[in-house]
Amino acid sequence: MRGRFVPVVLLIAVAIGQIVLVRAFDLTPWKGGGFGMFATLDHAAFRRVDIVVDAPGRSEALEVPPSLEADAARAASLPAPWLLTKLAEAVAARERRHGRAVARVRLTVWRTAFDRATLHAADQPLRTFVYDVP
Amino acid sequence: MTSPKAVLDTVLRLTAIALLLRPMGPWFVQPVLLALGAVALISRQWLRRSSLWAAVSLAIAIRIADDWPLADNHIYLLAYWTLALALALRAADAPAVLAATSRWLIGLAFVFAVLWKAAWSPDFLDQRFFRVTLLTDPRFTEVTMLIGGLSAKDLAADRAALAPLPHGAELLDPPVIVEPQRLKAFAAISTWGIVALEAAVAALMFAGSKAAGLRHAALLLFCTVTYAFAPVAGFGWLLLVMGLAQVDPARVWLGRTYVATFLAVLFHSEVPWPGLLLDAIR
Repeated sequence: MRGRFVPVVLLIAVAIGQIVLVRAFDLTPWKGGGFGMFATLDHAAFRRVDIVVDAPGRSEALEVPPSLEADAARAASLPAPWLLTKLAEAVAARERRHGRAVARVRLTVWRTAFDRATLHAADQPLRTFVYDVP
Repeated sequence: MTSPKAVLDTVLRLTAIALLLRPMGPWFVQPVLLALGAVALISRQWLRRSSLWAAVSLAIAIRIADDWPLADNHIYLLAYWTLALALALRAADAPAVLAATSRWLIGLAFVFAVLWKAAWSPDFLDQRFFRVTLLTDPRFTEVTMLIGGLSAKDLAADRAALAPLPHGAELLDPPVIVEPQRLKAFAAISTWGIVALEAAVAALMFAGSKAAGLRHAALLLFCTVTYAFAPVAGFGWLLLVMGLAQVDPARVWLGRTYVATFLAVLFHSEVPWPGLLLDAIR
């Protein structure tokens, strides 16, 4: 029967694409359809995004607001330029909606690493991203 | 003795039940999936209709795309599986086509799972993954206390000690993580046990027909053990339905074992058995 292997080919293609995204853009192995769940501590619980907004006379670290949690989660899981840009644009738009000046948005994606012997945790910067607001 | 069509119907019904047990997706996908699952269960005619399962697969693909890249892996596998159902139902010998596709899908999923654990992750085989996960993931709290022998006070202290300081800072004199020997042994058994079982399932899916008995035994053992602890019942149900699709209709008891294991995973996921056991022995 023609087409019977389409699901199998899709599985292989998506899994290979996931490996590429992990290697090239630090996608967490848990996501992306590559079956890397429960294989590593590099997942959402141990990743986070710091947001700093700059403007003349202002440099402020922001908590991720509820309205941007989904965008932040995507950027933390896959800190690729296009998702970081989307998050930064959303941050800038939100600041403007609230009447606050914003000239630059700085994002840092952190990943927690655990010592092999003691398990002590330390945050490591995974990606930094600067967005100049047009 | 039962018929291939009867096994196929059970496979289709259990897939529909799995869809209904774990509603997924945004507002424009979830009601569609629930409605399709309900129609499949109500109408035997629609249950066997390829277009229904193609629509399910498309809706799941939209759910994955809408949330990309955050969807869990079993959502992808469910999309492939429902597409496989749609394609098989157009074939003259749907049960045979579905059985073959099922072996490929499970085998490949487990190959990638083993590669991620054994070759591509730096923190799995050295046991860090389970040592940290058992201490920090709230979904494993009761299991960690019950099997690992950790007190609630020590667990809270460990969680505080495992929380990283902001911006990469580190303490000069960090607190010691309390890990009873039982907990370390549990982490070690979990680490090597899951890799061994997943590797066995992967290998047996690609083995010849003589390995059918072992193949079913490995998959059933994996699902029984893993989903008693892992909080992803949806993945367990999907694997069991896919395993059932490979069952020889003459082996009625094996089909019933799959259905019973499907229900066992349901009870594992809905009954907080580690917490109840922990309360009982306190």
